[in-house]
Amino acid sequence: MASKAPFQFADDSGSEDDNFNPAPADLTDDETAKSDRRGSMAADNDDNDEDKDEERPSKSASKKRPRDDDEEDENGDEEEQEENDDGEEEGGDVDGDDEEEEEEDEDDEDVHRHRRKRRKDLRSAFFDIEAEVEDEDEAEEDEKDGEEIEDFIDNAEADDIAESGHLNDDRRHRELDRRRELEASMDAEKQAQILRERYGKRASNRAYDEMAVVPKRLLLPSVDDPSIWAVRCKEGKEREVVFSIMRRVEERSGSNNEVPITAAFERAGPNSVMKGYIYVEARRQADILVALDGLSNVYPRSKMMLVEIKDMPDLLRVIKTPSLEPGAWVRLKKPAKYAGDLAQVLDVTENGLEARVRFIPRLDYGVRDETLSTPTADGKRKRPGMPGPRPPQRLFSEVEARKRHPRYIQGNPQTNTWTYMGEDFENGFQVKDILISQLEVKDVNPTLEEVTKFASGSEDGTENLDLKALAASLKDSNVTYAAGDVIEVFEGEQQGVVGKAISVQGDIITLEVTEGDLTGRKIEVPNRGIRKRFRPGDHVRVIGGSRFRDEVGMVVSIVDDRVTIVTDQTSQEVTVFSKDLREASDIGGQGSLGQYSLLDLVQLDPTTVGCIVKVDRESMVVLDQNGETRQVMPSQITNKLPKRRAAVAADRNGSEIRLDDVVREYGGQQRQGKIIHIHRSFVFLHSNTTVENAGVFVTRASNVNTIAAKGGRINNANSGPDLSTMNPALKRNPAANNVMKPPKTFGPDRAINQTVSIRRGGYKGLIGIVKDTTETHARVELHSKRGLVTIPKTDLIFRDKVTGKPIDIYSRSGRGGFSGSGRGGFNGSVGWSGGSRTPMGAGSGERTPAWGASKTTARTPAWGRGETSGSRTPAWGDGSRTVNPYDGNRTAYGGATTYGGSRTPAWSSSAKTPAHDGFGHGSKTPAYGSGSSDPWGSKTPAYGVSAPTPGASGADSWGYTPGASGGSHPFDAPTPGAGLGAPTPAALSAPTPGAYAAPSPAPVSAPTPGAWQGGWGADAAPTPAVGAPTPAASGGYYGAPTPAAYGGAPETPAATGTIQYAEDD
Amino acid sequence: MFFLHNLERRVTLHPSYFGRNMHELVTTKLVKDVEGTCAGDYYIIAVMDTFDVSEGRILPGSGLAEFTVGYRAVVWRPFKGEVIDAVTQTVNPHGFFAQAGPLRLFVSSHLMPDEIQYDASATPAQFTNNADIVIEQGTHVRVKIIGLRTEVGEMWAIGSINGDFLGCLQA
Repeated sequence: MASKAPFQFADDSGSEDDNFNPAPADLTDDETAKSDRRGSMAADNDDNDEDKDEERPSKSASKKRPRDDDEEDENGDEEEQEENDDGEEEGGDVDGDDEEEEEEDEDDEDVHRHRRKRRKDLRSAFFDIEAEVEDEDEAEEDEKDGEEIEDFIDNAEADDIAESGHLNDDRRHRELDRRRELEASMDAEKQAQILRERYGKRASNRAYDEMAVVPKRLLLPSVDDPSIWAVRCKEGKEREVVFSIMRRVEERSGSNNEVPITAAFERAGPNSVMKGYIYVEARRQADILVALDGLSNVYPRSKMMLVEIKDMPDLLRVIKTPSLEPGAWVRLKKPAKYAGDLAQVLDVTENGLEARVRFIPRLDYGVRDETLSTPTADGKRKRPGMPGPRPPQRLFSEVEARKRHPRYIQGNPQTNTWTYMGEDFENGFQVKDILISQLEVKDVNPTLEEVTKFASGSEDGTENLDLKALAASLKDSNVTYAAGDVIEVFEGEQQGVVGKAISVQGDIITLEVTEGDLTGRKIEVPNRGIRKRFRPGDHVRVIGGSRFRDEVGMVVSIVDDRVTIVTDQTSQEVTVFSKDLREASDIGGQGSLGQYSLLDLVQLDPTTVGCIVKVDRESMVVLDQNGETRQVMPSQITNKLPKRRAAVAADRNGSEIRLDDVVREYGGQQRQGKIIHIHRSFVFLHSNTTVENAGVFVTRASNVNTIAAKGGRINNANSGPDLSTMNPALKRNPAANNVMKPPKTFGPDRAINQTVSIRRGGYKGLIGIVKDTTETHARVELHSKRGLVTIPKTDLIFRDKVTGKPIDIYSRSGRGGFSGSGRGGFNGSVGWSGGSRTPMGAGSGERTPAWGASKTTARTPAWGRGETSGSRTPAWGDGSRTVNPYDGNRTAYGGATTYGGSRTPAWSSSAKTPAHDGFGHGSKTPAYGSGSSDPWGSKTPAYGVSAPTPGASGADSWGYTPGASGGSHPFDAPTPGAGLGAPTPAALSAPTPGAYAAPSPAPVSAPTPGAWQGGWGADAAPTPAVGAPTPAASGGYYGAPTPAAYGGAPETPAATGTIQYAEDD
Repeated sequence: MFFLHNLERRVTLHPSYFGRNMHELVTTKLVKDVEGTCAGDYYIIAVMDTFDVSEGRILPGSGLAEFTVGYRAVVWRPFKGEVIDAVTQTVNPHGFFAQAGPLRLFVSSHLMPDEIQYDASATPAQFTNNADIVIEQGTHVRVKIIGLRTEVGEMWAIGSINGDFLGCLQA
């Protein structure tokens, strides 16, 4: 301060000396200044320091003025005036005089306009006159400094009035203090009252004016109002023109040539149809010509259009213009090279005309410059801007740019901003200010690919997609709503309402509100301000244009309209817009492409198979047997391998593994999984613990250990048998027992005293009589030689003593088989008596009841199945006719065939059966006699039996014949054959092991054939067995009523037949 | 939640098992067939008893006998909003999978408290708040079910540990 004082003195002295140049304006200024001074002096109110400060310099300034240039003078004047105004204003304030206050308001504008310059004047005190010539800009800068200095200067100022000022100051301070005290002592209410009185009036006045309700129609323009003309102007310059009109109005206001118009406006948005016009409101057309005369870009001399009165209101209708916000997506229209390219708005200029956008440049870095610069053949240069194909979009590359145009590039590698050929590039993107009218703002619909290019441009490589901006661009693009969607209104009056869409008609959606006060109400909303609403946990499907289309998943998080879901297929998270989601009604989804679906096994080439681990819209990913994934098109797949349920492989321990078994890798990663495919030595496993490849991995079968086999094959023991398949106990077929031994017999061997021929060995062809037998051999007294020879029984053919026909001595013992029912006896007796014919055989001419069916079909179920199972019907097996060499009584023996699937011994050795061998020519076993062309020579009744015995029908697949089932307890279970009374093969075969164990009742109970025959004469005769569940049925765990039992019903073999045979015998 | 539920099922029996103890066999088969399966939106945990085994009917064509069996079973049905305990199975950056009995759960990282973050550097990978909460493979967690999905023979749920008393169970 002290240091500054001398300057001031110097100045002051100077100014006092040179006080001249009393301009009229100055005079007035002075006057006001004086009055001000007076006012302020008189004012007994507070006045703050600043005011005084300002006041004083002005006084000094007025004295200094003479020293200033003319220019400076003007400034000074203005400032002074301003100052005075200020002073007045303060005075007014102090007095609480409303009128003055209003005056102040009016003057305010001026005050503000000049305040700056006035300060300059203050400062000017410190400069030499010569130095006063200065730029406005400089002045501004200085001014700031001046502000600080001001206080010091003023306080330190030694003026002639300074003293009075100080006095004044003092008083005011005291005044202020007192007032504050008073205020503080008043209670709040009073204060409020005072404040209201002081300031409230004005506000209420204004409010009153505004609140006056005026009917709308009265506000409409009428003929008395000024007219509006549309004036042509340069397109795109509408706003500029209006601004310049505004300036002109300001400039000329108060002058004698004021602009004679009342309003001017424009409606030229980027997409407006009113481009190229401004609208001017004036009383007369001529006024417009005057007003616009000399303005650039507007053409009042061309034809003006008068706007009709009724159209006037429309001119002012507010149309919400799509506001461009930084981050939004637009498309370029203008530089032809970039037409249609996506760009992102970085900034929008204040007047809303231009936007700074960034886009991916299409540069060729001068590659085509040569062709451009070299004249073509006809000597003309090719017109630039008309090149062929435009260069592809690529981020700006400094390196390439330097190659050809090192001189045209400059920039900063640090910030990665460059200027190349006059264009700006930032981070590889071209940045440019473009008129919004040259941008496509609506319906941009950026695709994800385009947007991703922008995202990947970020320096750290992370995706920084501004999904919000993207959403804005996509918002109004074909969002489809369907009835049932849960919808939230996020814009407009109904904001926040949540409801369920009931109907959709065009753009209007009817909601039934489900939440809040309006619950139950139906409201209609436009589809612009709504979005679909989901909750975490909802099961949704992606629809629409998202690249995740058709994924199905569960919502885990929702932020605004972005929804994150965990997909069902891959358990991965994807984020999509809620508009692209819909409640998923179905499960799975995206699981298939054409005929191929997820986890299918497909053949890729003759040596390669793979499991589909991912299905996209057009391709899929396949994990091949070598553990490699590859992407394939459906066309690259040779075929789909059907799932082989029965596929079996052996694991590392040799245990069998099948589909759905859980196994673990041995060694390696010890991954564990469920087998989904077995292909040769490879197994494809699926595991939930990994999401890679949809949890599928491949390994070798020999490299896994079984953890748990499906159906508990491993621990089968305690889980019991599979009750939906054949009783294993009935199926059992121990290898050791493959060829069943003939049952033990009781009583004398029937072979004794039989006439036999020898079919093998040195005695071949000789005939003799069996004198004694052992288990395997017979001692035969030959007719032709003396003495006994020992011959294996199997080498004997039993012959009828009289006819010499081969007979089956065992078959005659049929009673063995039928013993159970008692009828067995019948058969047996036949066998015995008739020798060759079972009753049935003879009877109805080789038809057993069941037999009724044609011969061709005449197969017992078991038989039919024979080819595969190897089992033959019991009947067939050892046909009733066969003489079991081992045990004539038991046909049961044949039963073995049933079980074992092998042929009955009798059969296999059919050649040996005495009957067969010996009497093959002459006599037929009953079966044989049936005349069937069976190569085996004989059909037992049972054989013939196509008998749809209950068992038979069901049994086909099970491979057991009725007989068989019955056979387990031959004596209880009347086999069909049994029912017939003939020792049907069935019966014979029937003897299960059990049969062996038990002495067949047959011999015991067997009624004599004769007896039975009599009884049987009628085919209707119900056999005892018929319909009767065998006792055995209920017996064991596995015991089943033999279906055979039912089979018995049909007609029995004709009794006559039996008789015949008997006669034969 | 566990329920005692009366159910009915048709059980078929192969004719070779027809006999005195058929009902016993039918019950055995029933238990084998249904226990541990997922019946739509619940799991059948255990069959308590059978109370009504109908007469068998022979199925034409196959000879199998069909019994209609009424039985009572303990079933478990997970509900949206239910809080259950589970064992963490796998942990990945998006969240972790856990197993609650037969039910698989996924807890997304969005559905955890903010302070719980994925830590890939730990072995095994874990979710942790760098204090007392560590969720890694084998951790017992208490989870609230927020979404359920049923597939054929399987259910699958989305869970959240965002809430009081949810999350890691201290041993």
